[in-house]
Amino acid sequence: MTILVGLGPLDTHATIEFGATLARSDGQDLVVVSVVPAPWPTPTSGGVDKEYAAWAASQGAVASDRAQAFIDEHCTGVPARATWVRGRSAPSALRREAARTGAELIVLGSSRHMGRVALGSTADALLHSSPIPVAVGTHGYVTPESGVISRATVAFRGDAPSHRALRRTAEVCLRAGAALRVVTFAVTTQGMFTAGVGRSERLIADQWIEDVATDQRRVVEGLAGLGVDPAEVEQSVARGSDWVEALRQVPWHDGEILVVGSSREGRLTRLFLGPTGTRIVRAAPVPVIVAR
Amino acid sequence: MSVGLWEQLTRRKPLDHVTAGSSDEHLQRKLGTFTLMLFGVGATVGTGIFFVMQEATPDAGPAVVVAFIVAGLAAGLSAICYAELASAIPVSGSTYSYAYHSMGELVAMIIAACVLLEYGVAASAVAVGWSGYFNELTGSLLGWQLPDSLSYSPIPFEDNTTGIINLPAVVLVFLCMLLLIRGVTESARANTIMVLIKLGVLLMFVIIAFTAFEADRFDNFWAAGPAGVSAAAATIFFSFIGLDAVSTAGEEVRNPQTALPRAIMGALLVVVTVYVLVAISSVGAQPLEDFSSPEQQSAGLSVILGNITGNSTAGTILAAGAVISIFSVTLVTLYGQTRILFAMGRDRMLPHKFSAVNPRTLTPNFNTIVVAVVVSLIAGFVPADYLWDTVSIGTLGAFITVAIGVLVLRRTNPDLERPFRVPGYPVTPVLTIVLCVYVLSGLQLFTWVVFLTWLAVVIAFYLLWGRRHSRLNTGQAEADPVEVA
Repeated sequence: MTILVGLGPLDTHATIEFGATLARSDGQDLVVVSVVPAPWPTPTSGGVDKEYAAWAASQGAVASDRAQAFIDEHCTGVPARATWVRGRSAPSALRREAARTGAELIVLGSSRHMGRVALGSTADALLHSSPIPVAVGTHGYVTPESGVISRATVAFRGDAPSHRALRRTAEVCLRAGAALRVVTFAVTTQGMFTAGVGRSERLIADQWIEDVATDQRRVVEGLAGLGVDPAEVEQSVARGSDWVEALRQVPWHDGEILVVGSSREGRLTRLFLGPTGTRIVRAAPVPVIVAR
Repeated sequence: MSVGLWEQLTRRKPLDHVTAGSSDEHLQRKLGTFTLMLFGVGATVGTGIFFVMQEATPDAGPAVVVAFIVAGLAAGLSAICYAELASAIPVSGSTYSYAYHSMGELVAMIIAACVLLEYGVAASAVAVGWSGYFNELTGSLLGWQLPDSLSYSPIPFEDNTTGIINLPAVVLVFLCMLLLIRGVTESARANTIMVLIKLGVLLMFVIIAFTAFEADRFDNFWAAGPAGVSAAAATIFFSFIGLDAVSTAGEEVRNPQTALPRAIMGALLVVVTVYVLVAISSVGAQPLEDFSSPEQQSAGLSVILGNITGNSTAGTILAAGAVISIFSVTLVTLYGQTRILFAMGRDRMLPHKFSAVNPRTLTPNFNTIVVAVVVSLIAGFVPADYLWDTVSIGTLGAFITVAIGVLVLRRTNPDLERPFRVPGYPVTPVLTIVLCVYVLSGLQLFTWVVFLTWLAVVIAFYLLWGRRHSRLNTGQAEADPVEVA
C-alpha cells in the first residue's frame, strides 16, 4: 500500500521525513506529490497562457527533482518516488492522486510554529473532505533515531471510529515495535453557570469519563487477540478546560504520534468538522493522524 | 558584450528543450475537430455582440449584415495563418513566443504591443458593457439604478451621457482581480454553461426581434457605401476576437492538417450565423435611427427587446444572461492579460516583477494587481465607444503581422517542419492581409493615433530598457527556481 505526501511550495523536507517515518513504521511505500496550477481548460486567444503553463510545469519538475534527491539521500529503507501533478486546487488534486495511486494515507506538513501542528488551507480542506486518513506533521519534524515512530497515542472517546483507529494503530505499533498508549481526553468547559448549576455539568462529565474509561479498558483487553499484551498498553484519562490543557496533562515523547478517530461525514457536516476534530489537531504537540 | 542594434532587433529566442512531462503529462488531451470548434465558439461569442450593434449599425446602415461577414472572414483567415505559425514552432507558447522564436525580438515586441492592447482594452471595454447591462438588470428587477454620475465615464463621446466614473465596471474588474489572485480557474463546465447562456439569450433575442420584422427597413441597403461597411466591420471585428484561440491549440489536436481549418471554419460559421441573425433581426425590428438613440447607448439589445414587446420581461432575461456571461468574459480577458505580461517578464522584456509569483498560490500577484488597476482606470473613465476600435486595431495589427510572418517564413525557412500548412498558399495569407487592411481602413484617425502612440511607447520602452535586460542579452538561464514575490 501507499502513503501519499502532499508537498506544498512552502513545505520543507520535514514533511517527506515524516511521511517516510510513517511508511517505514507500517511497511508501506511513499509517493511525494507536488501540485502546480492547472492551465485553464478553455483556450485563450493568442494562446497567451501557454508560457505560464510551461513555467508551472517546470516548477513541478524542479519540486519533484528536489524531493527525489532528498528521498535518495535520506529516506533509506522506504520505496519512494516523487512526482508532480497539475490541479485546480491542491486538496482536490491530492484527493484525485490518492485515489489513482490507491493511497491509504495522505501526509501533509505544518507551515508555522516550530514543533507544533498548524493547519494550512490544504490540510484544513483535506481533513474535511478526504475519504482516507490524513496525517499532519509538525514544522521541523525530525525522524527519531530508530527510523520509526517510538510511540503512538490514540485519543479514545468510546465511539466506533475510536475503536477502529485503536485497532489499526495497535497493528502498526506491533509491526514497528513502538509503544502504544490510549488516552481519554475529557475537555470540560468551566460553564458560566450561577447558583452552582455548573456542578451538575461536572457530574455529567465525571460519569462520561467513567463510562469511557471502562470501555477503554475493555477494548484494550480485546487487543490481546491481535497479539498485543494489554499490560504493556499505557492507559490514562486527561482532563482539561480546553484541548491545549488536556493534552498537556500527559507527557509526550520525541517520535510520538497522536491518532484521532473521526467519523466520515456527510457533505453538510464536512463544512463544520466536529468540535473535537480540528481542535485536537490544532492543539497537538506531536504529529497527528486523523483516521476515518 | 556589445551587440549591434540590428542583431538585437532580429535575434531570435532559441528553441529550448520542451519540459519533460510528469505523470499526468502523458494524458495530453487529444482534441477532436468538434470539441475544438466548440472551444472556438465559446471563446468568441459574447465578447462583443451584446454591445456592437449600436456602434456599427449607424455606420453601415442595413449593410451592417455584410460588415459582420467581412469581419468574420478576416478573423477566420487570420486564425488559419495563426495556426501555421503556431504549428511550425515546436514549443508550447503564445503568439508572442512564436514571433520571438521565428521572427526576432522587435517583431515579438510589436506582437506583444498588439496583444496587450487586445486583452487590456478588451477587458475594459467588456467591463463597461457589463456595467450597462448590470444597470439595466437592477433597473428592471429592483426599480433602482445607479445614478448616471456613477455609471458613465466623464469623457464625452458625441452626445452620449457622461458622468464621473463608471463604478460597476471598476468594481467588476476588482472582483475578477480577487478571483485571479486567489488562483481561480475557469472550469470547462462553467465555460460550457456560459456559452449556452450566451447562445440561449441571443436566440431568444432573434426570435422575438423577428416578430417585429419589417422588410422595408432594409431599403437603401448600400446607402453607406464601402467606407461605411469597412467602418462598421472595423468595430465589429472586436466581436470575433477569440476565434484564434483555436489556432494555438494545434499541438493538442489529433490531425491538425484537417482538424484545424475545419474547427476554425466551423466555429466561424456558427458564430457568423448567430451574429448575422442578430444583425438581420435587430435591423428589421426597429428604424435605423433608433440604434443611435441615447437610450440604447448601454444594454442595447435589452432595450430593443423592451421596445418590441412593450414589457420588460424578455429584456430582463437577456440582461441577466449578459451580466452572468460577460462576467466570465472579463475574467478570461484579465487572465490573458496577466499571463502575456508574465511571459514577457520571464524573457526580461519587462521588469521581472511581472513574472514574480506568490509562493503559496503560484499566481503572479503583482502583475495581476497592476493589470487590474490599469484596466479599471480605463473602464472607469473612458467611454466604450473609443475602446472597441482600439481593441480591433490591436488585434488586426497582430493578425497582419502573423500573416506576413507566414509569408516570410515560407521564404526564409522553406524546410521548417510545419505540421499544419495554410491551405491555398499564397492566396490565403495575402487575402488575409488584404481583408485586414480593408477593415483597418474603416477606423477613425483617432484610433490610429492611439494605436501608433501605444506602439511607439512599447518600442521606445524596448529600445531603452528591454533590449538591454532581455534574457538573450544577459545570457541568464531560464529554468531558474521559483521566483518569489
